[in-house]
Amino acid sequence: MIRWILFVFLVLYIVVPMLMPVIFSFSVFWQDILPQGFTLRWYEAILTRPANYEALLVSLTVASSAVLLNVLITVPAAYALNRMASKWGQRLREGAMILPLIFPPLVVGTALLQAFTRPPLALTGTLWMVIIAHTILGFPFMFRIVLAAFQTIDERTLSEAAASLGANLWQRMRYVLIPNVLPGILSGALLVFAISMGEFEVTSMVAGFTAQTLPLRLFQQIRNDMRVASAITAFLIYVSFLSFMLMSYLGARMRRLRAL
Amino acid sequence: MPDITVTAVRKPMERRKVVWLASFLRAEVLLLLPFLLFLGLFEIYPLINMAVRSLFDTNGTFTFQNYINVFTKPQFRVAIRNSLLFASAASLVGGIGGTFVAALAVRLPSRWRNFLLSLYALPMTLSGLVVAFAFIVLLGRNGVLNLIVRRAFNLPPTVYFNLYDWPGIVMVYAFFQIPLMTLSMAAVFENLDPSLIEAARNLGARPWQVWRYVVIPVLLPGFLAGMSIQFAGMMGAFGTVLALVGMAKNLLSLQIYSHASESTYNLPQAGALAIVLIAITGVALALLSWGARRLARRGT
Repeated sequence: MIRWILFVFLVLYIVVPMLMPVIFSFSVFWQDILPQGFTLRWYEAILTRPANYEALLVSLTVASSAVLLNVLITVPAAYALNRMASKWGQRLREGAMILPLIFPPLVVGTALLQAFTRPPLALTGTLWMVIIAHTILGFPFMFRIVLAAFQTIDERTLSEAAASLGANLWQRMRYVLIPNVLPGILSGALLVFAISMGEFEVTSMVAGFTAQTLPLRLFQQIRNDMRVASAITAFLIYVSFLSFMLMSYLGARMRRLRAL
Repeated sequence: MPDITVTAVRKPMERRKVVWLASFLRAEVLLLLPFLLFLGLFEIYPLINMAVRSLFDTNGTFTFQNYINVFTKPQFRVAIRNSLLFASAASLVGGIGGTFVAALAVRLPSRWRNFLLSLYALPMTLSGLVVAFAFIVLLGRNGVLNLIVRRAFNLPPTVYFNLYDWPGIVMVYAFFQIPLMTLSMAAVFENLDPSLIEAARNLGARPWQVWRYVVIPVLLPGFLAGMSIQFAGMMGAFGTVLALVGMAKNLLSLQIYSHASESTYNLPQAGALAIVLIAITGVALALLSWGARRLARRGT
């Protein structure tokens, strides 16, 4: 009994704070204990005010690009590192996980800021810099999930079995490996997308005025207009929530496949 | 490629090893290349560049002044002290809270356990600003919870939970830290073999002995690993604080941020502060991992 009371309490601990911006964003005003009225005006403000709408587009562009770059870089690397049986392979795998702990986003941001100020790579303050920063931030998450996917399907045994049946590298990739690790790659992609959409700390360091993302806009709105801020906050919560719904669906599918 | 592998299975070991090595050099290194290039160019090079530049002043003269400043200027010394205290407090709250949630989660039927763990994975992707906003609405000066408590006990409006001081800030960060620790510890608790505890009991161990010699040695390495993640994350955190109190609180992370991008713009100084931050985090991680290894050895 106590266990279930605690369970409810723990669920509320996460759900109640997350509901606050959502309720706020749908109400006309909220000064007292209970909010008053229902409106979609604040969501409208995201789409109709150019500064907000542009920030939304920038965020979507950055997040999609960071996902794409991460898939291109991380998936082959996870495949290769999973195959490295030597001590070096182990060290590289662990290093890739520890990297973000030793070099937190704040430090990476400070470093990126001053590394690319001159041609040929004058990237500071451009959209490219934001995309690169988000790719670096997302990489450890992507790497961990994809590596785990390669490990759970026991990629080497599977590949060897396929090879002994005469499948070449391309066929092994196309028909054996990719379909098996696809849920993992998609989960990683969703996680990177959600993190990128909400990222504020590094973005605020490396982004100039040309690359204002939605969270940067939100930071200004928290001081100026709490109601528009509530709609942006709620929108970011929906993005995280949807990503996690999809991820747990993919996770359940992966578990089912493994059980078969 | 495919024929090589097929023949390799049939040929003796020696040949197989050579062939494997050759194919490894061809395919695997090539696959690692984009990753290594990207990381080298956009993470390692900028970090080295930052470390080098922190040894020069804004005019380009070689100097240790930026580092001397870090340890002599009161504003930086206070920032380091505050960061150490804040990171330790937030990690402890997260560590203990997360362990508690994970301990409860593994005792639930698997359906509800998965639900709880999925829910506790959610804050991982949430923006620091989102959480700051949520808590301002909930516990700000006229936040909903403050209003409810004030009405219920008929208190004057001067009484409220202060979100904008250290305890409040730690509490808001707990919203990230507790779930993060929950996820690490849930995996550790699942590895705790119940038959081990049963065996100890059957051998006549008392409850405290079971805890002291069986449960804690199994849990502690995972707990310390989780604490490393907590502490490292908290040393670098500043988004939520910035949204809550601006620059009113003095943290090492906020000092780096303001020297890198705000009015007190001084990149070499920001670089020196960042290097000190890396050093502090590195020492803390090394200590925690040393402790975990020592305990693991004593446990077996």
